[in-house]
Amino acid sequence: MQYDVQKVTDYLWELAPSGGMRVPARIYATEAMLPQILSDNAPQQAANVAHLPGIVKASLAMPDIHWGYGFPIGGVAAFDLESGVISPGGVGYDINCGVRLMASRVTRQQIVPKMRELVNQLFRDVPTGVGSAGGLKTTVSQLRRVAEQGARWPIENGFGSEADLAHIEENGCNARADAAQVSERAWKRGEEQLGTLGSGNHFLEVGYVAEIYDAEAADVLGLVPDQITVIIHCGSRGFGYQVCSDYLDVMDRAVKKYKITLPDRQLACAPISSTEGESYLGAMRCAVNYAFANRQVIAHRTRSAFEKALSMSREEIGLRTVYEVAHNIAKIETHTVEGAQTRLCVHRKGATRAFAPGSLEIPSEFQKIGQPVLIPGDMGRYSYVLAGTSKAMLETFGSTCHGAGRAMSRVKAKKAAGGRNIIREMESRGIIVRGQSRRTIDEEISEAYKDVSNVVDACALAGISRKVAQLRPLGCIKG
Amino acid sequence: MNAPEWLDYIDHTGDAGILLRAENLRQLFERAAWGMFSVLTNVAEIRLVEETRIQVGANDLPALMLAWLSELNYRHVTEHRLFGKFGIRDINDRMIVAKVSGEAIDPDRHTIFTEIKAVTFHGLRLEKSDSGWEAQIIFDL
Repeated sequence: MQYDVQKVTDYLWELAPSGGMRVPARIYATEAMLPQILSDNAPQQAANVAHLPGIVKASLAMPDIHWGYGFPIGGVAAFDLESGVISPGGVGYDINCGVRLMASRVTRQQIVPKMRELVNQLFRDVPTGVGSAGGLKTTVSQLRRVAEQGARWPIENGFGSEADLAHIEENGCNARADAAQVSERAWKRGEEQLGTLGSGNHFLEVGYVAEIYDAEAADVLGLVPDQITVIIHCGSRGFGYQVCSDYLDVMDRAVKKYKITLPDRQLACAPISSTEGESYLGAMRCAVNYAFANRQVIAHRTRSAFEKALSMSREEIGLRTVYEVAHNIAKIETHTVEGAQTRLCVHRKGATRAFAPGSLEIPSEFQKIGQPVLIPGDMGRYSYVLAGTSKAMLETFGSTCHGAGRAMSRVKAKKAAGGRNIIREMESRGIIVRGQSRRTIDEEISEAYKDVSNVVDACALAGISRKVAQLRPLGCIKG
Repeated sequence: MNAPEWLDYIDHTGDAGILLRAENLRQLFERAAWGMFSVLTNVAEIRLVEETRIQVGANDLPALMLAWLSELNYRHVTEHRLFGKFGIRDINDRMIVAKVSGEAIDPDRHTIFTEIKAVTFHGLRLEKSDSGWEAQIIFDL
């Protein structure tokens, strides 16, 4: 596919509006990354999003952009509340797929001799895999409270502490969730899965702080070299997938009702202020809360696993939540548009909020440095902690990338892994991996992913986030 | 397990897909269901001991394919069952009535390869061909 891409800066490229595009499509990337990005359909998807009514400023793509459902993954699109639309494809199936970073008082030197025991304990205590048993069995009324209360519900039921809440985006709960907008199917899919990791690219990783790039920010976040960290990456499980499916169906009909012309059926949407739009928002927020609750339960089980495996007390281990972010979500936010404070519906699919220093939405202790952003890499390399910037507020509605993105299909990854013992290979590199299925591990090899450091560097060079620290893995569990 | 001659698997970076051929619409939908379950597991291992009636409706043919496969995936996930045989009793471009056969998931005999988050409109194609019908379906994994 040929694209007429114009250079704006060394790190920003633009597809000018043409045809039905109301705004330009803008891609954040280095020149070296551009050929790979332009080789698939994703830039066309970014251009398609630019057709949607009420879109403001530009259809944005982060350096980890790749093909997705309607909207590209790595996409950010903001819409005027009065004239704009909301679209489930702009959030994704795994609503509030996100990442929690925890940090401890344990050092790398202390943990390495116990790493296998710890990974085994985590594998026992945190359900992973397809159709995994071991999720919290919740009644329908409990699940409704989870959908309304988010991470508060597990905390009130003994899973973790209030201190976690302030360090989760939206304080772990969107108060405008509307349980009445969730279908019976979604409740059914969610009822056995609370506290489970799932499979595919979801994981729980124990690692350590390997490099510090911004000493001041690292200090505020309490990150020091060789400190043991935990990354939890998962989302709203079947509950969220069903909410998305249900509302794609609703929106497919709404498009005809509101006479919206789409270049792609998968961009199905409705005016934000319509019944359909409000219903989706209400249901999506339930799934957002489910994911917050899910990660809270998993974090609690992680703490217990550490205590059992290391034979240390909770206080000695000191696993605290540094921050938790969402990277598949739609939020009502206020941003400056042509000089005026404007309320917008910001869709981030495979993109993370990265609010600047001084933003009131972030914990007071982080206001000096900006919102922490957690960017997971593949299981063999590294992950990053970043911080939000004012440039992000100006250019990307306070958004940045979310991860590495796949470079290889699952079939090709399995072929590349064929005949190899991936677990043994990882172990020889000092990383203990346990997974429910060999197939998942083969599909998740490092080579199957792009190098997340390129993505993170591109965002840093573009000024939409700042590198704070690099984390490296010591062990992980997968589905 | 080798795929039947009417089925090809599509290699897709993030997801999984199937391309299939059939003589008529009924066979197309039956084969699409079989194809979906072959992405999930080894269909040959599914014993056909329970029969279930399924009825779905939609506004057009692509949406009907989506509704049919989504219903089967939903039952698989929430009822912990696998289906291996699909007998469509009645079909038009807005409705299907079918009897499907399978069994409860047995962890000792069945390996579930993956989880299908959703059946999507992406790349969804149902077309008449020289020999009948052709369909392409992509699953979000």
